Amino acid sequence: MVKRRRSQRRGTSLLSHAEPFVWLTGGALVIAVAMIIGLMVLIVKEGGSTFWPQRVVRIDSTDGTSRMGEISSTEMYVPGPHVMAGLSDDTARRVRDVIAADGGVRRRMLRSGNFDLTGTHYTWIDDFAASGESLPEWAVVVERMSWGRFYGFPKAFVIENEVVARGPEAAWSRFKSVHASVRARFEERQDLETGAIGAINAEMEAGRLALRKAELSSGTGSFEYEQARALNDEQQIELKSRFESARDAVRTLDAENARYQLLFETADGAEMTIPAVDIVRAYAANQLGFVERVAVYLSRWWEFLSEAPREANSEGGVFPAIIGTVVMTLVMAILAVPFGVLAALYLREYATQGWLVSIVRIAVNNLAGVPSIVFGVFGLGFFCYVVGASVDTLLYAEKLPNPTYGKGGLIWAAFTLGLLTLPVVIVATEEALAAVPRSMREGSYACGATKWQTIRRIVLPRALPGIMTGMILAIARGAGEVAPLMLVGAVKLAPELVVEANSTAPFVHLHPERSFMHLGFHIYDLGFQSQNSEAARPMVYTTTLLLIAIIVILNITAIWVRERLKRRYAAGAF
Amino acid sequence: MRLAEAVARLCISIGGAGTIAAVALIFVFLVWVVVPLFGGAGHELRNQKTVASAAASAPPFAFGVDEYRDLGFVLKHDGTLVTWRTDDGKVLDTRALFTVPRLNSVSTRSPDGDLAFGFDDGSVRLGRISFHATYADMTSRPELAEVTADRPVIVAGGQLARRTQEGQLRLTGIAVSIDEPVQLGLTAPITALDVSSHRDTTKVVALDARGEIAAARIETRENLMTGEVTVDIRSHSVPLRPRATGPPTRLFLTGPGDVLLVTWDDGILQRHDLRDVEAPRLAEEFDLVDGEGSLTAAAFLIGKTTLITGDSRGRVRGWFGTKPAEAETPDGIRFVRTHDLDAEGPAVTALASSSRSRVVSAGFADGSVKTFHVTSHKLLIDTAVEGGEPITALVIAPKEDGLMAQAGAHVAAWNITLEHPEASLSALFAPVWYEGYDQPRHVWQSTGGTDDFEPKLGFWPLIFGTLKATFYSMLFGAPLAILAAIFTSEFLHKRLKGPLKSITEMMASLPSVVLGFIAAIVIAPYVQGLVSTVLALFFTVPCAFLLGAHLWQLLPQNAYVRLSGAPRFVAMGACLPVGVLAAFAVGPFFERTFFDGDIIAWLAGAQGDSVGGWLLLLIPVTALLYVFAASRFVGPWLRSMSAGWNRPQAARFEFARFGASLVLVFATALGAAHVLDGVGFDPRGGVFDTYVQRNALIVGFVMGFAIIPIVYTLAEDALSSVPAHLRLASLGAGATLWQTAMRVVVPTAMSGLFSAVMIGLGRAVGETMIVLMATGNTPIMSWSVFDGFRTLSANIAVELPEAVRDSTHYRALFLAALCLFALTFVLNTFAELVRQRFRKRAYQL
Repeated sequence: MVKRRRSQRRGTSLLSHAEPFVWLTGGALVIAVAMIIGLMVLIVKEGGSTFWPQRVVRIDSTDGTSRMGEISSTEMYVPGPHVMAGLSDDTARRVRDVIAADGGVRRRMLRSGNFDLTGTHYTWIDDFAASGESLPEWAVVVERMSWGRFYGFPKAFVIENEVVARGPEAAWSRFKSVHASVRARFEERQDLETGAIGAINAEMEAGRLALRKAELSSGTGSFEYEQARALNDEQQIELKSRFESARDAVRTLDAENARYQLLFETADGAEMTIPAVDIVRAYAANQLGFVERVAVYLSRWWEFLSEAPREANSEGGVFPAIIGTVVMTLVMAILAVPFGVLAALYLREYATQGWLVSIVRIAVNNLAGVPSIVFGVFGLGFFCYVVGASVDTLLYAEKLPNPTYGKGGLIWAAFTLGLLTLPVVIVATEEALAAVPRSMREGSYACGATKWQTIRRIVLPRALPGIMTGMILAIARGAGEVAPLMLVGAVKLAPELVVEANSTAPFVHLHPERSFMHLGFHIYDLGFQSQNSEAARPMVYTTTLLLIAIIVILNITAIWVRERLKRRYAAGAF
Repeated sequence: MRLAEAVARLCISIGGAGTIAAVALIFVFLVWVVVPLFGGAGHELRNQKTVASAAASAPPFAFGVDEYRDLGFVLKHDGTLVTWRTDDGKVLDTRALFTVPRLNSVSTRSPDGDLAFGFDDGSVRLGRISFHATYADMTSRPELAEVTADRPVIVAGGQLARRTQEGQLRLTGIAVSIDEPVQLGLTAPITALDVSSHRDTTKVVALDARGEIAAARIETRENLMTGEVTVDIRSHSVPLRPRATGPPTRLFLTGPGDVLLVTWDDGILQRHDLRDVEAPRLAEEFDLVDGEGSLTAAAFLIGKTTLITGDSRGRVRGWFGTKPAEAETPDGIRFVRTHDLDAEGPAVTALASSSRSRVVSAGFADGSVKTFHVTSHKLLIDTAVEGGEPITALVIAPKEDGLMAQAGAHVAAWNITLEHPEASLSALFAPVWYEGYDQPRHVWQSTGGTDDFEPKLGFWPLIFGTLKATFYSMLFGAPLAILAAIFTSEFLHKRLKGPLKSITEMMASLPSVVLGFIAAIVIAPYVQGLVSTVLALFFTVPCAFLLGAHLWQLLPQNAYVRLSGAPRFVAMGACLPVGVLAAFAVGPFFERTFFDGDIIAWLAGAQGDSVGGWLLLLIPVTALLYVFAASRFVGPWLRSMSAGWNRPQAARFEFARFGASLVLVFATALGAAHVLDGVGFDPRGGVFDTYVQRNALIVGFVMGFAIIPIVYTLAEDALSSVPAHLRLASLGAGATLWQTAMRVVVPTAMSGLFSAVMIGLGRAVGETMIVLMATGNTPIMSWSVFDGFRTLSANIAVELPEAVRDSTHYRALFLAALCLFALTFVLNTFAELVRQRFRKRAYQL
């Protein structure tokens, strides 16, 4: 009898533990964790490997053509009937055998470049259509200013239409010797164009606007207007001469650079002349050792982080987007954090706790749940079209009908995202304030301190880490938000940066009215709006990696600050 | 000190209150932009003048006003064209256009001023009566010097000179050009005619007093070499179906000139197919007035497709051709009454349609004038001429900023502002019968290629898309998040809790643009190649976890207890790859067996029976039924039966039972699927439909991914804040962890879990980037998992940058934003209230 009862307990306990259901709940957690880890691994792998210089493979096809490039992916597939119909009987039989054995045939995607010759950046090559492949010693990868990458063999080096070096080795070494100086001249020329000529243009525009302003304020026939016109005419003459001299300098540099050219031969035997100045980076891929490859890899990352984009954003760097994201986020934080803290202080310390405050608190919490696109709509309608347009009519009437502030711009994006992140700051600050023990406040009051003294000396210092956490989380949210920015000022390509270096104090000049580039919007634009999304794919991954890295770092900082804060409280509770 | 105190209090209060005011501002501003959408149109009587020489008792042949509303003209029955100033009614110009042969009828005037004249000798002339405006420099025309800012309008040489606000001088006059007469083979006086131009071809139809109709195609070709213009006229007679009531009175030719509408005064309309002018044929005949009263006015709307009719009983109605499947007409088109604009009242005496939108004005026998938007049925203006004489002619100004009516010798002019005539609550949210559709529908199509394109602003497809995205993502995300939260709070090893929570929180901060990009560029193409495998995942992965659990039970008691921490979680992790691998094996097998080897072709409806589809739907249902039945009916019996067994025995039995139940569930589902297939039901066209690469499955998965962290975190918080003493009491009373979790912790935390789901719901409703990137953004209404959709938020993101400020479209998009705002606000407030209640309760416990 005793024995039976015990065994009964054992048997039922197995059922009561409901192990299968526990495993289902555990499975849900496993899936969630696997998804996030899988996503991270995918982005890190794709984003991290984009810039790694691969070997350049030359694949000859059975139809006599050759392609050369880097292998970007491999897959197994079963060719459709129309593909099979196009094959010779012999090949078709072979393909069928392979399919029967392996379940499909392998094909590889070759990044074959040479877009100006072939009209495509990538080529699928079926294994059954390849007759041979090799790693040619002199296969050179050329990253150009336009048309994307070029793959070919150096044939000759040309100075002023005269061949000065023949053969890959000689041509290559001659090219190497002049490339740095050519690029340096190019940089100088670019600086002249954006710096000196840009400044002259800006002055010309300023003169025109001053004239228009005089016209608006005093009328065309007035003395002030005539005075302004005389001044403007004088200035324009002087500016024109300065413009000419700057342009001459640019022309001289261009002429010098145009002398050097490199003649290439593609895998197909076609010849192609590439001016040395158009070559951003070139390397003989199959000759590189590990260290040199790392050098190419790092130099590409450096270009990515420090240069402006080229080729409809699919090449070059994302420097303007980084600057745009950072400046916009900082301005946003400067706007959102003080007001968020004030609101939290008001709610927690000053307002009489009652139904009104709880309604307000619910409203603030609610605001955190309002879709970001709604903030974008509000930002566009209110900040750009109402506030911005009023600013324009009051202060920038001479520029109308071209809007200055009456359109999307950095300042309005920052305002919009500031509003969006406000609840994050308020909630975090309120929690931090609530966590300051009551005993400390009472102690302070007992010593005769006033309310503001208590807040400033006792409450705020203790709540500061919590406020910092809120700020960092707000920044992380703001940096990753894209939907509202699409409406209030993020653009695919901004001609000018929102901050500009100045030769005079304060050395950095912020242009809050300008549209800006943003990393998140860059991802959307590259992946979806790009003309050639295939070519832009690698850039999207690296941009994604960069954005995620920024956000993860911000989050980890926030978590770290929070942990520190918790520990401090744990220590200071007694 | 006291000052500092006061200043601080003031600053903080102002800052705090200001912040909160900013929140309110969002709502107020959105409402402020949206409200004009539903406002009516405005109108004010500008003047009413007597223009004696233009007076007519019958409707004149033509009546018009220029773009700037400076001049009006009327073409009288005696062939004279009278032009007058609208501001003071003084006649500017009177000219006799035709004397012999006598003008007998005139077609309606096109927006460009083109019309056709019919004469009493049976000839027809095409022509144009238009206004021409030229701008002159003040200084170059000394005779215009008397125009000053005080006296901005003068008459000079048959033209009106007006000083514009920009300080320029605008000269407006009337211009008439008339082509040579054309004979269409009719000899009796022309009583009605109409003309339509489409590219180089002009079609003219004319009706003579004997009731004969001729249709002519006039082609104008210009020789590129010589510049010589040749006109080619081919005229054919249109045979009417004879009627006892006499000849018809009105003729209408649609925009492309392929349909001829002939009406009699008793309301009968004959529609003739005129696509082939040489062989016209009668398509249908029907009654426009339901046998009551008579037809008194008719006019085409812009685009010349919708016919507006007015009758002696005061009814104003719209008609156009639809293509219903059951149409018995020879050309498959049937004219139907699609719009009832006005109820009965005084007889309609004049109709005028706008040249820029689908607005129509009707004048009545009692002198009243009403203006409607045809598609939205909105009554925009309801006014009347002073004196109450019947309206003889009406015109809406070309810019839709004015309305002019002739009543006897009086001409009344109104300033009107239509604002947003096409928008109304019913036009935005109820099905609307758009031109060319078979029935009223919900359509969102805000922009189109042609000038006479009508924006269709039906919100339902977008709301539907939003709900669909939310539904599928919650279907995937919510259970996963809640289950994961239960596991984390109740079963997970303490040391694993921290890092796992951090990882999931990290997931929350992933920008949604990244998720959208991954969904569209990586997942969508990948899934398209592996549809069957992905579908199989939904079955194999849970099975793998269940299998793992049953194997785990087979462990000896000691090992079972010892390994119940981290090792068990690792073992769970190992089940996932097993499930995935199994899917790769099972998926293609099922595809071959049930979907004829190609599930995408099967979904397109090209092949196979519906068993496979039903199986997909029924397996989860039968599995749930089985679990319910097993725990309810089999469980107690099993418990008593297994009483005598020891642990390994029970575990082995459970393992066998698991295998048997898998087979049982599958067999039941298969049987039911065959039955449903035999009955003839097919899930295709409903839950399943043609595969689109960016579809609800992808969005459900990725957006589920996006809401998991928030739901998980909130749910975990709710579960963790259940007081420990409840848990301990339950465990102390001998309950297992599972029993404690299910019967004590979850019920206590239920409201917290609920609010977590609600907040996740709010997130899913407003998510923009993922749906923008991972759906095809097609505003269609289909429940299919494999179809795309467009949500409110994505719609705003796509269209707002292009919308013109303050246009109807712009305001409609603000309304979309307001909808989202209101929806999430309600969801969140509700969730917040529930959560606060829960907190209070948990605190009391």
